[in-house]
Amino acid sequence: MPETHTQSSDNTDYQATDAEADVDYLDQEVNIFKPSTPFMRDHLRVVWAMFALWAVVVFGPVTATAIAPGVMTDVTVLGFPLHYALTAIGAPGGALVLSLVYARKRDQLDDKYGIDHGTDAPATDDEAAEPAATDGGVDE
Amino acid sequence: MTATAIGATQTPLQLLPDALNGSFKLVPAIMVTAMLLLFLSIGYVFRVTDTDDLWVAGRSIGNVENGMAIGANWMSAASYLGMAALIALSGYYGLAFVVGWSTGYFILLIFLAAQMRRFGKYTAPDFVGDRFDSDTARAIAALTTILIGFVYAVGQARGMGLVGIYVFGGDYATMVILLMAITVGYLALSGMLGATKNMAVQYVILIVAFLAGLYAVGFTQGYSTVLPQIEYGAMLDQLGTEFTEPFTSGSYYLWIATAFSLIVGTCGLPHVLVRFYTVESERTARWSTVWGLFFICLLYLSAPAFAAFGTDLYAKNVGNVYGANGMSGAEGDVIVVLASQLANLPTWFVGLVAAGGIAAAIATTAGLFIAASSAAAHDIYTNIVNPDATQRQQLLVGRATIVALGAIVTLTALDPPALVGELVAYAFSLAGLVLFPMFFLGLWWENTNRQGALAGMTTGLLIWFTAIVNEVLPAYVDVLADAAGESGAIVPIYADVFPAIGAALAGTPIVFAVTIAVSYATDEPGEDIKRLVRQCHSPEPMGQQQSAEDVVTDGGSDDVATDGGSEDVATDGGEDTTEA
Repeated sequence: MPETHTQSSDNTDYQATDAEADVDYLDQEVNIFKPSTPFMRDHLRVVWAMFALWAVVVFGPVTATAIAPGVMTDVTVLGFPLHYALTAIGAPGGALVLSLVYARKRDQLDDKYGIDHGTDAPATDDEAAEPAATDGGVDE
Repeated sequence: MTATAIGATQTPLQLLPDALNGSFKLVPAIMVTAMLLLFLSIGYVFRVTDTDDLWVAGRSIGNVENGMAIGANWMSAASYLGMAALIALSGYYGLAFVVGWSTGYFILLIFLAAQMRRFGKYTAPDFVGDRFDSDTARAIAALTTILIGFVYAVGQARGMGLVGIYVFGGDYATMVILLMAITVGYLALSGMLGATKNMAVQYVILIVAFLAGLYAVGFTQGYSTVLPQIEYGAMLDQLGTEFTEPFTSGSYYLWIATAFSLIVGTCGLPHVLVRFYTVESERTARWSTVWGLFFICLLYLSAPAFAAFGTDLYAKNVGNVYGANGMSGAEGDVIVVLASQLANLPTWFVGLVAAGGIAAAIATTAGLFIAASSAAAHDIYTNIVNPDATQRQQLLVGRATIVALGAIVTLTALDPPALVGELVAYAFSLAGLVLFPMFFLGLWWENTNRQGALAGMTTGLLIWFTAIVNEVLPAYVDVLADAAGESGAIVPIYADVFPAIGAALAGTPIVFAVTIAVSYATDEPGEDIKRLVRQCHSPEPMGQQQSAEDVVTDGGSDDVATDGGSEDVATDGGEDTTEA
């Protein structure tokens, strides 16, 4: 985690952090189709892109099976008919991978906007120590 | 033609799993008892004292632990028993449940988890009541919570009754009554001991029981070695085409409707959301969702393998799996236990697998009943009926709710209308129709107002009730049965578009449309509500004990509000929360 932080602080993103300091988020409208702050625009871009991927992973296999049942059931992967493998393993596994990617991307967004949720936040020392350990585990 | 007809083509549902060896078995009985006692004693050791702690474990739980708690919360009889049953009985359609119950967490993650954590309220009724500033909305959400608990628990009761036959012998009705009585007893104890902190342990015990069963069956029968979750692919072509052939027992529309309903239901279930209040920050809320999905996937990738092994063993040892004299719904619902028994594993080992199923069902039911009793005592009774209610009166109402709910669930479960997984799916339909749109719009569109929410929730409830009356109740009420006739549904076309099990596919967009239209037609919500919503989306960190409300109300001036993360404000906010 610290690596990514330094990395993004080095380049132009650092300016975004300064710009963000002026935004009062309590005065900015919340509407999923009309992001009103740069942070929300960046965040929603990630959200919608990942959502589209998710829709393909989850509903793609069953739809493909409905459209081309012959191909989907005849092709086999590791013994599985293709439609079965993509649905039983591909969809849950795909959603898990996408979740991981999203959580990482969201962390990067936090770095870009200079947001810190506890790793070295101005919280009390004991509060800061525990999340640091836990987050480190996740990133590996 | 409809979802209910899939698992059990012949109604009424056959209630005895014939192939299961039903007699009293001492060791498995001890194991069930031991598991429950273990849950209780861990709960006691990590007991919590004040109410803030009880509800959200002091908001101090980390990623992995909270991920396991999410997994344990998730692992009811529907996952442990019902999913393998649906895969074995309904083939490819059963996978809609695997997909729906796992991939929904992604939607929860990208749209709701962190924002919910920032909002910082304990229960679904609290969120709805505060966000839409309405006690009526709070009451509807509370009522929905109770209804979800009821429908969900009927599925659990059926599961524990069926598996109970293996462990204790006896007939189905006796088992349902006995185990539901044990559940209420467990609930009384866990309520007294404060069993919140033990979710992680509970997850470990349940997943070990499930995976041990899968690996042992796979290994002893020569199906698999190290990775049964993949290796079962090689045996699929021996299982009969019904196991894999698409759209034989459920159309493409029904498949999509079911999966969609389960996905939005996941995002609307009150007991899932409460897990995000237990974490230290929104970042932990995100990462623990990722971990939670990982722990859930462990079970969900294994269930189809277990179903495949069970189906093959059934065909070899009992008879035809599919067709008129094939596997009954009751046998399907215990396929996980049945597979272990048919693999000739030692009784104590089969008992371990069975005990896991019963423990999952009891723990989930207990959790649902606690949520329902708090909704009745706190959100309906104290907020609406009797604002001056004393602590004692609230406790009485809460307990009465549990007893009444226990009785109704037991009665309904004696003659359940569907398979475990299907019953639980009805609850997901309800959550997806009524609560999910409120959470989503409430957090992502600040102009959603009270009138919109009330209209939307009423529409959602109406769609759900109509679907249930249309399709599920005819099995119980003679008048409706006459009206329904051969097809099983009163209005077949309605059942096609809004199947009870997947009513959310067509219904949720309608609820969204109604909520948005009414919100547009009426006055915008006040600035204070809007600021509440904005605070949920602000990237500024918040104090650990803060809710969005604390930040917004503490910050009378803009300066303080922006500095929400600073220590002073955080401390003040924390104290406010405890009082409220």
